Amino acid sequence: MSRKKKVKLLKKTTRSFFTYSLTAMLLSVVALYFITQYIIDDETQESLNSAAFRIEKLIEKDGSLINIHPIINTEKVTNLKSQNIKDTLLYDPAEEELEPYMELTKYREINGHSYKISVRAKMVELHDVLQAIVLSSIIFLTVFLSLYYLNKKNIESVWKPFFDNLTKIKGFSIQDKQSIDFEDTDIEEFSELNTEIKALTNKVIADYENLKHFTEDISHEIQTPLAIIQAKIDNAFDENQINEKQYSLLIDISNNARRLATLNKKLILLAKIENQQFKSSNKIDFTAVLKKSIENFDGLSELPILTKEMTPIEIYFDEYLAGVIADNLISNAIKYTTSGGEIIIKATNNQFIISNTGKTPIKNPEKLYNRFYKENTTKKSLGLGLAIVKKICDRFGHTIYYSFDDYKHVFKLTFK
Amino acid sequence: MKILIAEDEIILQESIVKFLKRDAHVCETASDYHEAVSKISIYEYDLILLDINLITGSGLDLLKLIKREGKKIPVIIISANNSIDDKVEGLDLGADDYLTKPFHLTELNSRIKAVMRRGKYDGDTNITFNEIKVNTEGMQAYVNNKSIPLTKKEYDLLVYFITNKNRVLSKEVIAEHLWGDNIDAVDNFDFIYVHINHLRKKLTKVAANYIRTVYRIGYKFTDEDM
Repeated sequence: MSRKKKVKLLKKTTRSFFTYSLTAMLLSVVALYFITQYIIDDETQESLNSAAFRIEKLIEKDGSLINIHPIINTEKVTNLKSQNIKDTLLYDPAEEELEPYMELTKYREINGHSYKISVRAKMVELHDVLQAIVLSSIIFLTVFLSLYYLNKKNIESVWKPFFDNLTKIKGFSIQDKQSIDFEDTDIEEFSELNTEIKALTNKVIADYENLKHFTEDISHEIQTPLAIIQAKIDNAFDENQINEKQYSLLIDISNNARRLATLNKKLILLAKIENQQFKSSNKIDFTAVLKKSIENFDGLSELPILTKEMTPIEIYFDEYLAGVIADNLISNAIKYTTSGGEIIIKATNNQFIISNTGKTPIKNPEKLYNRFYKENTTKKSLGLGLAIVKKICDRFGHTIYYSFDDYKHVFKLTFK
Repeated sequence: MKILIAEDEIILQESIVKFLKRDAHVCETASDYHEAVSKISIYEYDLILLDINLITGSGLDLLKLIKREGKKIPVIIISANNSIDDKVEGLDLGADDYLTKPFHLTELNSRIKAVMRRGKYDGDTNITFNEIKVNTEGMQAYVNNKSIPLTKKEYDLLVYFITNKNRVLSKEVIAEHLWGDNIDAVDNFDFIYVHINHLRKKLTKVAANYIRTVYRIGYKFTDEDM
């Protein structure tokens, strides 16, 4: 779905008001010009018609020809033509220049004689009409601009509480446990909106707290019975009164209790990262953390863990989580190294690279960081190690990249 | 040694008592905060095992109380909460160790002994088993006063064996002690055999064979006949 382009509310409302009003004004100016012209033409024609009619009556009465230059001209003609009306330029001695006139010419047979009657009227000049229209437009525009400005100010003041509260919402952080304190407003809808948002945030804060407690409670509730199971089994071992068959049964129970405990611990860790409960970040040397982690793995597997270029990587990070990243990636490498293979670790230039020998690239690299995704179901892995690493990286802005080169699975972690 | 176990889960409390009594410890129990407060104020203990979530109060408050009264008693926190903050807070308040539930009783036993060895409780920093002596400060093992070179894991293994002497230790328990949560990386614990064998070889060159194999189960460090 394509997203709509975002425009500021004030800009959108004032801009559309401005464009619509301006277009309407320009159109009305043009319309005004044509209407005015039409009315003037119409009136002039009417007056010419009535003047010609009166002259006809005069000729009918005494047969005298009236000539008043340039507005009336009557003469006897031999044949009749059809009447016509036209615009013409004539010299006006009063003004001493050529002036536009409208001329109506009629041919009439009066008392047996043929007459041509021409009446003319001086036309209102085009630039005079335009002048008047432009002048009134300027007045309109001034009124319009001041209205526009007033409207803009008004809208700004109406929406001000909305924008102030929007800034407050942006500053809201669930972890501060501080509900939003909105400014009071006399606009009913805004007031309702504030009340609803306040109720919503309060609920979110409460739910978040509940969830956090739920995570802790679950931890307590699950770990305790597991501790009891483990203690009971340990005591049974210690009493030395069980046979081999019972022993192997108890070992299975014990191993699975441990798996459950590990699963629980990892899920809680994931939840804590998601709930942003890790905030501390001190300056640490990741390479030092990594070396300690490698040392802890010593002897756990026959696979050689080779280190190259272990130069210090100084970053601001949570030391515990740095250890989790190192442990999980090494653990993952051990799990998926083919027998006879090796693990190579490199820490340099703000990058931690760990590679291990493998036969084929990962089948579903897009699922690599999903919870409970297992590339190989024969392994007893929980499928949470890489999900945790990815979650930590995302949370703290580090990037992790997987590739398969030259029969090696490579994880490259670049620190922010 | 007299130990107070402040733990509100009665079954777990009983299991711990049962296990520790075999090492000839005297164990007393407190099932809630108030019982713990009153026992601490009346009796003297050599060590307190303290659960953080006691029904009627917080173990951390109890720890504050102990430290405020200036009592020089070692405290090991046992908590269901794996949170790093709680761990840091507990240790900052003066706890000597922090153990997350679930744990192996042999692990608890070894932690108790490690805490007691610490200089601040005037304990003996050496562990002795017949001709074997381990100096825990210098992390060095001796047989008949002659030092024997051990890797870090072999050293840890020897200390774990001696502190849990005469007890059967399964491969899983040993692996968990040595590698903690990292044992997730491997599917089985047969490789433990390699480490045990190395240690056994180094010891039997100069000492008796105390590491006994318990067929298909694990190992036992003992000088008794099996």
